[in-house]
Amino acid sequence: MNGMAQEKIIFTGPVGAGKTSAIAAISDVPPVRTDVACRGEERAIKDTTTVAMDYSYIQLDDGRRVHLYGTPGQARFDFMWELLTRNGLGLVLLINNDHPEPLRQLDFYLDAFADFIRQTGVVIGVTRMGIADRARLDDYQARLFERGQVYPVFEIDGRSGDDVRILVQALLAVLTI
Amino acid sequence: MDVIEEIFRDQQAAGETAVAVSEEGSRVLRARLEQILDGLREDCGDVTGAIVSGVDGMAWAQRLPAGFDQNRFAAMSSALLALSDNLVKEAGEGSPRKVLIEGEGGNVFLMHAGDQLLLTIFTRADSNLGMSLAHANHAVEQIARLMAKCDD
Repeated sequence: MNGMAQEKIIFTGPVGAGKTSAIAAISDVPPVRTDVACRGEERAIKDTTTVAMDYSYIQLDDGRRVHLYGTPGQARFDFMWELLTRNGLGLVLLINNDHPEPLRQLDFYLDAFADFIRQTGVVIGVTRMGIADRARLDDYQARLFERGQVYPVFEIDGRSGDDVRILVQALLAVLTI
Repeated sequence: MDVIEEIFRDQQAAGETAVAVSEEGSRVLRARLEQILDGLREDCGDVTGAIVSGVDGMAWAQRLPAGFDQNRFAAMSSALLALSDNLVKEAGEGSPRKVLIEGEGGNVFLMHAGDQLLLTIFTRADSNLGMSLAHANHAVEQIARLMAKCDD
């Protein structure tokens, strides 16, 4: 560790899961955002998308400062996934339940970040649970069980600071075990 | 009326946003963009490759050296330019004009070309920077003009 060492958490997940909103909901300062207008299929999900990263930070109750990085969702930006997770503490994976196959998305991101998760830890936040009841929390747990993995799964509103803080606290708790 | 205008006029009549709505429209547009990139390489021998991508990181047209993955270069260009935009704006230095990267083996320029597109150009390390930039600016103007025509 050197003077530049920082504690950082990475938010990831598919387009429209609420990564940018979640970081904005808990950060102490206005986040650095890189959202641009999107087109094509992504346009159907939302108007803008993150192309490089979101960045902000929060001060925890114990005085520690934790840096928050949000990745782009699309696989074409996977080079940013690698860059942003370097020296990270752990991963917050947000899954949008209002998607035809949210459990496949869960699989995809757990696989894509498998090395990082193995070295650190992950918590899963499921957003837009109330809007569409495609999968229940039990289904997520069952899928994790099939994968032989045990991770905390929460139903959250990505725009709620309290909800997102719970995710962050859970991640930090997992990491200290 | 040239074919591209015809296509976009039809799309607008159908109430669609211009550009890349129909397959035919995007094919013609790509061909026009490729012409601009070909012109750039002909006019400026120092240019070793170029790609036009959307601000959202999708590749639109490219003249890249063999072995370059256009999807990755498009995505990296949009990420780099978006972050550079923020840096310049946050420093209170207005809107960014271009990003120049001086590599050991060559240079890279990143520029906005209208609201929706950006142009990435690769040049030789020993190239005349000013000359390359002048040609790059010209290509950007051509692209912006083409897109403005599509949006009308």
